[in-house]
Amino acid sequence: MLAAKLACYLFAKLKFHDYAPQPVTYKTVAAWLDQFGEETQKQLLTLLRHVKYVSDHETRKDLSCLNRALLKDLKERGIEPKNVIYVQIDEAGSSSHVVLNMLRNDDRLQALGCTLLDSRDGIGLLEASYRLEEGAIIYVDDFLGTGNQFCKSRDIVAQQILGRWVEFIVAPYICEEAIEKLEKRSIEHRAMAVHTKTERFLHPDSEQCPRDLKLKLLRVCRRVDRRYSLGYHNLGSMIVYSRNCPNTVPAVLRGNKGQDPFVGLIPRTSDLPPIPE
Amino acid sequence: MAKKNVADEHQIVPKGTLKQLSVDEVIPSRNNPRLLFDPEPLRLLKQSIREKGVLVPLTVYPLKGQDKFGILDGERRYRCCALLKEEGLSLKIPANVVDPPTRVAGLLYMFSIHNYRQQWELMPTALSLETIIKDLGENDTKKLEKLTGLSEPQIERCKKLLLFPKHFQNLSLDPDPKTRVPSNFWIEALPVLDLVELALPDLYGQLTRDGLTQKLIDKYRAGKIKSVIHFRKVVEAYNLAEDHSRPTVIARIRSYILDPDLETRTAFDEFVVDARRIQDAIEVSRQYLSNIRKLKLQFAADYKDDLVDALSEIRDYLDFVLDKLKGVEPPPETSKEEEASARG
Repeated sequence: MLAAKLACYLFAKLKFHDYAPQPVTYKTVAAWLDQFGEETQKQLLTLLRHVKYVSDHETRKDLSCLNRALLKDLKERGIEPKNVIYVQIDEAGSSSHVVLNMLRNDDRLQALGCTLLDSRDGIGLLEASYRLEEGAIIYVDDFLGTGNQFCKSRDIVAQQILGRWVEFIVAPYICEEAIEKLEKRSIEHRAMAVHTKTERFLHPDSEQCPRDLKLKLLRVCRRVDRRYSLGYHNLGSMIVYSRNCPNTVPAVLRGNKGQDPFVGLIPRTSDLPPIPE
Repeated sequence: MAKKNVADEHQIVPKGTLKQLSVDEVIPSRNNPRLLFDPEPLRLLKQSIREKGVLVPLTVYPLKGQDKFGILDGERRYRCCALLKEEGLSLKIPANVVDPPTRVAGLLYMFSIHNYRQQWELMPTALSLETIIKDLGENDTKKLEKLTGLSEPQIERCKKLLLFPKHFQNLSLDPDPKTRVPSNFWIEALPVLDLVELALPDLYGQLTRDGLTQKLIDKYRAGKIKSVIHFRKVVEAYNLAEDHSRPTVIARIRSYILDPDLETRTAFDEFVVDARRIQDAIEVSRQYLSNIRKLKLQFAADYKDDLVDALSEIRDYLDFVLDKLKGVEPPPETSKEEEASARG
């Protein structure tokens, strides 16, 4: 049992070595595993193997690569950087503002003449879009799950766009579920990959996980969260960022809100309890 | 040569090349379709398009950056085609491709879209209207009405919104409905701000108009203004107050502004409800007197007893109320036994 725990610790420590919200230590791994029986512990290790961990460095690199390609495309289609407005979407739990800050510095967006705006600055958006008359609006984020929150915020923001504008979303990873909603709005997505259902280890549409193992792991997830056992809207996504974990991953990885009754291995910042005084 | 008016100058004249476009080649309006169009007419149009196709071409313009077209005219036809596509019927949409519209023409088109919507959040419309006012140098409500298709009251409401500084206007554009301040807040708060300026110049000078506005926002966000129409109670309380009670109302307005926990109805209902009741009573009394005079009851011959009973009941009640109002103590109550022994 100790050997299994140690193996899991070493694996988790290597994989999530710089997970920011809660560092992975022997203590946190043990606390996570001790909630389950020996057999389940082994199964959880299998689940961890299928998580794709994305470091901040990788996120920056991906974003920059996607963004530069998009700016190049736009230039070829007659849109200069001065006619590009970047918008950070301030939805709950979004990393949009952090990601746009990264991109602003890495790609020197302001030096290029681009305009950067917060989605809450409706008047700024209205004035800039009217002044520039035409161009591209680029929303930036690190991840899109269902796309519901993003689209809800974007639909409000879009009312402040005047003139002839096309819209893009740049995000390294976008879940399949969001694509249709983006297309309906003619928002072109630029991503490193679309995170399909079939590649999500515990998703009903995926065949990556053997049936028996899937059933057992699903049962464990249901113990943690009955309604959203596979994360928000049961997406069961398997991409985790070193900065924070999306809320669409299987519940067993995050644990419960306030880490009570179940603790997670990689809880989101908002899952953690307040720091004791 | 006849002089063109502003609206004509910015009209979109569809004379371009006709193309057959797929749904994916057209970019819909950025406004929420569920709130834009009534479902029933849209359903009928969809049915017609399903049977006969799109008979009247859309008017579209090319967009830079994507190989797509923006719509200038035909939003509903496009929506129907998009819905039909979701149902598995892919249609080609005839479209006149014209030159991109000027900024103002684009704005005017946006107004025509806004007008479809009943529950439109007014702030975006107001800000667009401001742009029109600035660009065309036209501030006359009647002319703006003609130009934008907005109604006169809508324009007046928009103009009220435009009286607030930008940082306050932005609060109504907040994408998060939980923190967004509704446009009506500003319209209803405006008379309160004017009243404070008039009745409490010292407080107005000390806090400034922005400071006062911020206090009302804080109160609203703290849930101490349950509905923005409760602001009307503040003004009503002031207007209904007689000279002798006005200082009390003014003092209450001061407390209301300064105390973030004082709820609007708690603060003003006593002035408004009472005052309204008295106004109503005076009105009813006058009407009653006028009506009863017309009946010329003094000439009644039949059913006199019933009439006397009814009028006596009214007189007793009025005597009771008048005594109360004059501060006369009612006679001490005596039991029937006491009355009998007194008589005996």
